[in-house]
Amino acid sequence: MNNRRKIFISLLLVFMIFPVYAYVAKGVLSDEAQMCLGCHSSKDLTKQLDDKEILALYINGDEFADSIHNVIGCAGCHMDISMENHPVRKIKSKKEYTANASIVCTMCHTDDQLRKKPMHGYLITKAKTLACVECHGSHYIKSISDWKKGVNETQYCLTCHKYDLSMALKSGELLSLSINESAYKNSVHGNLQCGYCHIGFSKTEHPMRTFKSKKEYTANTSKVCALCHPDSQLKKKPMHGYLITKTKAPTCVECHDSHTIKRIVEWKARLDESRYCLTCHKHDLSISLKSGELLSLYVDESVIRKSVHRNLQCHNCHSGFSKSEHPVGVLKSKREHSIVTGDVCKKCHSKAYTQYEGSIHLTMLKSGDLKAPTCTDCHGAHSIVKATADKTVGLLSCNKCHGEINVAYERSVHSAARNKGDEKAPVCSSCHNAHDVKVTAMTMKMKDVCLECHKDAQNAHKKWLWNPPIALSSFAGLHFDVIACATCHSSDAGRGIYLILYDKKTGKPFPEEEVLKLLETDTAGLIGKIDSNGDSSINASELWNMVKQLNGKGTDVTFTGRMDVRKGTEAHQLAAKTKAVKECEQCHRADSDFFKEVSIVLTKTDGRPTLLNAKQEVLGSIFSVLPVSKFYVLGSTNLKLLDILFIIAVLGGLAVPVGHITLRIVTTPLRTLRRMGKGGKK
Amino acid sequence: MKRIYLHPIPVRLWHWINAAGFIILILTGIQIRYSNIVKLFSFETAVDIHSWTGFILIANYFIWLFYYLLTLKIRIYIPPLHHPIEFAKKALRQAKFYGFGIMVGEQNPHHPAPDNKFNPMQQMSYIMIMTLLIPVQIVTGLLLWDPKLFSGLVNLVGGIQIIDTIHVLLFIFFSAFIVVHFYLATLGHTTFAHFKAMFTGYEEEEEEHGHSEEHGHSHGH
Repeated sequence: MNNRRKIFISLLLVFMIFPVYAYVAKGVLSDEAQMCLGCHSSKDLTKQLDDKEILALYINGDEFADSIHNVIGCAGCHMDISMENHPVRKIKSKKEYTANASIVCTMCHTDDQLRKKPMHGYLITKAKTLACVECHGSHYIKSISDWKKGVNETQYCLTCHKYDLSMALKSGELLSLSINESAYKNSVHGNLQCGYCHIGFSKTEHPMRTFKSKKEYTANTSKVCALCHPDSQLKKKPMHGYLITKTKAPTCVECHDSHTIKRIVEWKARLDESRYCLTCHKHDLSISLKSGELLSLYVDESVIRKSVHRNLQCHNCHSGFSKSEHPVGVLKSKREHSIVTGDVCKKCHSKAYTQYEGSIHLTMLKSGDLKAPTCTDCHGAHSIVKATADKTVGLLSCNKCHGEINVAYERSVHSAARNKGDEKAPVCSSCHNAHDVKVTAMTMKMKDVCLECHKDAQNAHKKWLWNPPIALSSFAGLHFDVIACATCHSSDAGRGIYLILYDKKTGKPFPEEEVLKLLETDTAGLIGKIDSNGDSSINASELWNMVKQLNGKGTDVTFTGRMDVRKGTEAHQLAAKTKAVKECEQCHRADSDFFKEVSIVLTKTDGRPTLLNAKQEVLGSIFSVLPVSKFYVLGSTNLKLLDILFIIAVLGGLAVPVGHITLRIVTTPLRTLRRMGKGGKK
Repeated sequence: MKRIYLHPIPVRLWHWINAAGFIILILTGIQIRYSNIVKLFSFETAVDIHSWTGFILIANYFIWLFYYLLTLKIRIYIPPLHHPIEFAKKALRQAKFYGFGIMVGEQNPHHPAPDNKFNPMQQMSYIMIMTLLIPVQIVTGLLLWDPKLFSGLVNLVGGIQIIDTIHVLLFIFFSAFIVVHFYLATLGHTTFAHFKAMFTGYEEEEEEHGHSEEHGHSHGH
């Protein structure tokens, strides 16, 4: 027998004998193991790790004897430990310990071998955090076939999936593969084996799948639900019926979850209403409106949690909706939705809503201007914060429609103060109110608002704005009455004169609607009715005729005047007071720039002004004395006729002595003759 | 030359204060109204002077009023309307004198005396000026001085523009009047006789009326 043959026969014997030996050896502990167990069979044997965890060092000798590894004894794995050498090792944590312990496994179970199993291959490359012993255990490892026989499918799957496994998707998202065992057991599907839903997976099959995204994964997973819960069954519920028809509808698991599904009745009882609603509405839901618009039904839970309404339930605003009711409404447009939603707010915010009812915003809305804001346009729907606490709410919401004004405001001294941290610095609502937003153009309302903060303004102006010999606050007040604060305090603003039709009987602006009725015209025809020469600018005689016509029909109207900035935006760019107009002659001179632009103002019942261009001559015409009897500015609204009269009078006054002296010179000979006759001089 | 004490001190004081005040008011009024053309003072200065002067003249007006009322001399201003025809004739004669007689060397038909100071034309114009025009100018001036303070009255009259119109119309009248008044003051027996009288109080009148050519125009009122 040559040597090669001897080796072959020896190995054959070893391979034949080893199973027999192993079988025989099963259940029998080696001497070495028994020696180790001398200590490690004590249940009290533990070790405190660096992180204070307690690592049990107890080994159940019987179970170890039954494990597949009893033949390799203790030193087979704990190679650095023997009876002669038992070092005391420092171990940071159990995790570190299991990771290190698992390294030993690769001595026999090489990577190449493990990679042959798809899941092992995946775990080795992707999930390095999961150590061998975490799935297979350490001292009581069975042969795979024995182990599989002893566990049901769910237990088998959970062997790995109870750990913090995850899977990187193509989208970059990390899909958790971890299952909470107790939650699953308590779910309505707790009695189902994994393979019921995870078709293709079993104790013997574990295909490797890849997904683009979580969305794709959940969509695919949800298809399985239909096996037990067919569309016909789901459509009986209106919202399910609706969602099933929408392609962007969330999948089953997005609302119901996957492994923690409860019975609906049980689930509903457990959740408060908001959480119940958010089950679906936290997803990217939307609804198509009649207008063709897509209304998002998504609700950002984090936003609600930060909102002032965080303690409310959904039905407090969405009346008709609850855990048991979910009507499917039909809305025309997003705007209609906002308006309807705004109406809900008045249930609790009746005071604010009553104020809003008197506002120009609601007036505009009622008159068909759907751009006019409702509650949610300014406050948001779910992101409502306390506006008094966060003044930016006003700025941001007003800015949506009044952006141009906001740009001007940002140039103002008020904005500068606000940016410096002055909490009292005004924002939009400080002057215009939050809900009771009125038309301010051509009114003196703003003056009162300014004086609320600038309480001493009238006295401050009195220091330089007074007529000797007595400084009366009424003289400054006179200016306050006819000049908007912004006129002087808005640097670089255009200024103009506004002649406002005024009802002497009521002391208020005469309504434009009445003017239209009395002049038997409409808004479009108004200018044509007044501007008889058709030059698109009202002159003095046209103004006279207008007032004559109106007063001829039983009214008692006149024009009162005021000075204001030309554009509403300019009223917001208020500068520091050092830049304010202070020179009297800026206004009080016949050629003042401030008097070059003149407008006739008709005021609608809701306060909105209609401006009609007028010629500057209306301020200085004799025709205007009666129609504009209530507006006069020293030096600037001089009646031209009086100027002519003045020149005539002065010339006439000079003509008297000049003419008389001339006559006296001419008649000197007559007097001389008479004197000579009477006095005897010759 | 006969000397008649025609202008007591209170009258002279009142007159010169009034005269200076009128000129100042007219000049500052012009400056205020035509500040784009006239550059005598700044607008503010003109308004300040105008207001101060206005109040001084209001006080001055009351000096005049109280003086004439308390001394009962107010009657020299009152035309004898109980003799209307005679008064009208005298007025015509006075007008004829200024328009014709003075040219041909006729005697001034009016001879002033302390209790008959004014000729009929003076009486008519001064009674109008002193009892109507100046009070109206004072009231309108006050209303313009602080229209808000007197807003009730301003509205009663019909509006601030109407108040201003009245004030300016009177300003125009007084501007013309003061020129004529100044000229007439030169028509004494010498050019400055009336001016002198308004300083000294004594009006000089020639003894022989028949020899006087430009006699008897009394200036003060």
